[in-house]
Amino acid sequence: MNAVEVSGLRKSYGKIQALQGVDLRVPAGAIYGLVGPNGAGKTTLIKALVGALRPDAGEVRVLGLDPLKEKWALRRQIGYMPQSYALYEDLSARDHLTFYGQGQNVADLPRKVGEILAFTELSERADDPVRTFSGGMKKRVSLACALIHDPRILFLDEPTAAVDPHLRRRSWQLFRTLAGRGITLLISTHLMEEALLCDQVTIMRQGQIVAMDTPERLMERGRSQLWVHQNGAAQQQVIPSTPAALATALHAYGLAAGIDAVHVRAESLEEIVLGIIQEQEAQS
Amino acid sequence: MRHVFIVGKRVITQLRHDKRLLAISLVGPLLIMYFLKIFLDGLNVAALTARYVIPFTAFIVHFLAFLLCAIVLVQERTGGTMERMFIAGFRRSEVIGGYIVGYFGLATLQAAVVLTETLWLFQLDYEAATLFNLFLVFWILAVVSVLLGIFISTFARREAHIFPFIPLVILPEMFLSGMLVDGDKLPVWGQWLGRLSPLHYANNAVQELIKGGVGLETIGRDLVILAAYAVVLLLVASRTLAEA
Repeated sequence: MNAVEVSGLRKSYGKIQALQGVDLRVPAGAIYGLVGPNGAGKTTLIKALVGALRPDAGEVRVLGLDPLKEKWALRRQIGYMPQSYALYEDLSARDHLTFYGQGQNVADLPRKVGEILAFTELSERADDPVRTFSGGMKKRVSLACALIHDPRILFLDEPTAAVDPHLRRRSWQLFRTLAGRGITLLISTHLMEEALLCDQVTIMRQGQIVAMDTPERLMERGRSQLWVHQNGAAQQQVIPSTPAALATALHAYGLAAGIDAVHVRAESLEEIVLGIIQEQEAQS
Repeated sequence: MRHVFIVGKRVITQLRHDKRLLAISLVGPLLIMYFLKIFLDGLNVAALTARYVIPFTAFIVHFLAFLLCAIVLVQERTGGTMERMFIAGFRRSEVIGGYIVGYFGLATLQAAVVLTETLWLFQLDYEAATLFNLFLVFWILAVVSVLLGIFISTFARREAHIFPFIPLVILPEMFLSGMLVDGDKLPVWGQWLGRLSPLHYANNAVQELIKGGVGLETIGRDLVILAAYAVVLLLVASRTLAEA
């Protein structure tokens, strides 16, 4: 079953076409990455999915519901973490969770607040005003607000932007834990390396989808450069970026004793995506 | 209705934690009233003191409730918290209602503090019933001011956009509402423009009340118009507060 189904979605801001006919299917229970540079249309797409903007054309279904026409039924089932912190600087993390929890009629709220504070590792500073928090802590408060009502699907807009590598890793561990509980996560990021942490990825550019696949299959669309240093001379060849292609290429050498070194440099996801974009531009 | 109080409680909690804003909101009006005292002493118009200072107290409550509410709502929009509230299941009318609840509390506190100072500073003495009725006028005016702030905030993309509305809306109200010059001394177009201002009706009611011996039956018409103003603004703001 798909948690999100989008077809022919268009949205313009004046002359700027933020979304140019986007089609998307997000399977339930997956971590789905929406990857692309700033201005690719990721935030506009997420806003359309949560019902925060009215698209010019196209159809959107989230958990089978229209985000605008059936917004009250949908909003009980979705969690949304915007790109900005979207927090009240003078309130504490506990105040925030209590506010949003009351708004969503969460049962046994004090216990639930404590549970979410512990999950997001905010318990120790739960009653301090958010203005005293670091950027990473504010991101966690923002995530906690999106989780308080046990949503079935989470929309996280650049949740790890401007976050240090340690906290980024910790955030992805939290996302994986949430996915393990059956929650669908749609996460936007401009960091290509984060795409590799998702179950499925859509690459966006200028309001259009450039590629859509699992990270593994996307990586297989790349090329690798192989250098084999044999008897003092280096031989270079370009092979597909698959384990099988590497094995086949090395068979020719039989890993003889004379082989001094083997060096492989695979294309990064960024290079692969750039290659796909160039191919598409050449075709059009 | 439950959501209105949830938003209202959150607004009050925020105000309570923002000590600087609270201090400025309360000390500022006190200072202004003191400056007004010096100004009126200089003019030597003791007989007319009440005629000017009580409506001026109402004006301060009106101005600050409008300004603070408008700015905070623009901050909600620019900071993304407004959008988040809607996605979290709050409705426009509930957000507006919550702001009325929250800022009504602040406006009441302001009115109480400033009116007490005014009575003491200018040595004015009124019966308890008159004081209660004055408060009633201030309260309704505060609600109208909060709603006006919410409505005006929908035209602003950032805080700075609120400030042009001060010379556009608030200052003309001061001159045309009858607060400084009796309405019948204004040109006809000025009288008509003045009638568009909620301050006009608040001033009418206050001027009647400070004459003494006047009850709700005398100011009833002005209070009804102020309440109608609030209802119209509530309906308009419920439509203009952008959600999607």
